Amino acid sequence: MSAPLLELRALRKAFGPRELFGIPRLALEAGGAYVLVGPNGSGKTTLMRILAGLDRDARGRLFFRGEGVDIADYPERLRRSIVYVHQHPYLFHTSLRHNLEYGLKCRRVPDAERARRVEEAIAWAGLQGQVATPPAKLSGGERQRAALARARALQPELLLLDEPTSNLDREGRAQTLALLAQLRDERRAVVVACHDQEVIGLEGFAHLGLEHGGITRQSG
Amino acid sequence: MDLLEPTHQAFRLLFAGDPELLRIIWLSLWVSVAAIALVAAPSIGLGFLLAKKRFPGQRSVVVLVQALLSFPTVVIGLVLYLLLSRRGPLGSLELLFTPWAIMIGYMVIAFPILVVFTISAVQGADPRVYETARCLGAGPLKASLTTLWEVRFGILAAVVNGFGRAISEVGMAIMVGGNIAGLTRNIPTAIALETTKGDFAQGIALGLVLMVVALGVNVALAALQGEGGLK
Repeated sequence: MSAPLLELRALRKAFGPRELFGIPRLALEAGGAYVLVGPNGSGKTTLMRILAGLDRDARGRLFFRGEGVDIADYPERLRRSIVYVHQHPYLFHTSLRHNLEYGLKCRRVPDAERARRVEEAIAWAGLQGQVATPPAKLSGGERQRAALARARALQPELLLLDEPTSNLDREGRAQTLALLAQLRDERRAVVVACHDQEVIGLEGFAHLGLEHGGITRQSG
Repeated sequence: MDLLEPTHQAFRLLFAGDPELLRIIWLSLWVSVAAIALVAAPSIGLGFLLAKKRFPGQRSVVVLVQALLSFPTVVIGLVLYLLLSRRGPLGSLELLFTPWAIMIGYMVIAFPILVVFTISAVQGADPRVYETARCLGAGPLKASLTTLWEVRFGILAAVVNGFGRAISEVGMAIMVGGNIAGLTRNIPTAIALETTKGDFAQGIALGLVLMVVALGVNVALAALQGEGGLK
């Protein structure tokens, strides 16, 4: 049996004397789609940030394809495999195209391949008419879709999406939900932290419950 | 006092392309631009580090740099004079009473302005900028440069402010430059001299140039900022 894509062992996160959560083991499979649910303050965002290497102030070990590291020593190479998207994604104040190219340039993707992926990302997110629009002038839904497309264009092995439908209007939510379903169908490993019942109800997403200081259920 | 006649004379000097006047203007411009160009990168880099990194003594360094902002420039001139004078530790370089001495002084004056403005700009940056860059695969240096680019209007304001302080500095420039005609006489030292001599025409002409430079630099900054600078 092959190792999970990502596995956390003996994870403990505390703020001073208060322990936020302790997770003995959590495994995410390659190509798996997960919804991380839990009440406000349970630590969903913190867990996502730990997985993305943005919060190294936690104890425990992380195994990626069977290779283990301490969370405090989060390796740079994992940043090429795991991409996190903030609840309110930040788009650089340049152009939509530059935003989509940014991570591809960081990965030294050749020009022709980069152009192809950018065009594909624009089409995937339905932003064909917005390429020249400054990101600050995009609607909330367009910004969210642009951020999803920017992350997806990097072809990461694991996508971490923090509340991708929060603060979106009905149309923006519907479009984002459609993109989440596409990510699931593409068999791209994705974890979506959310409260949104429509996301929680998406078919094919396994449920991870984070409450009472630990993962209380893993189903699906 | 009749202000009209010296003002007319000032415009005549400017439009006639008076060589002495042009030499003074050129010296002021190149020394100020060169000083800012040389001091900008290290100052902005230090400002970024002080804003983003935590290390022992960091607070003390910030307080020291902030204190430098309020140092009288004549004191900076005095210290530089003592350092550069023939019997000073840097006397062998023979920089005193040369444009290089004025340039060093400008760099010292602009340094805390650039550092403090950069700290303020970077601390005001959205923390998601750096994190987003890192999540998209940028290394620490690239993510830092991306953060600086996102706050570029604040950084540009720092550069403009530093340039403005440098090009209008009098006391230090007289002390280490000596206000030598044709060699170290720049716009503010010339204005001071001509005013004491009662030759207001050249003073007014140079004052007009200084104001045009200040206005031009700020208009350029506003144009670069566009809507982005107003968010």
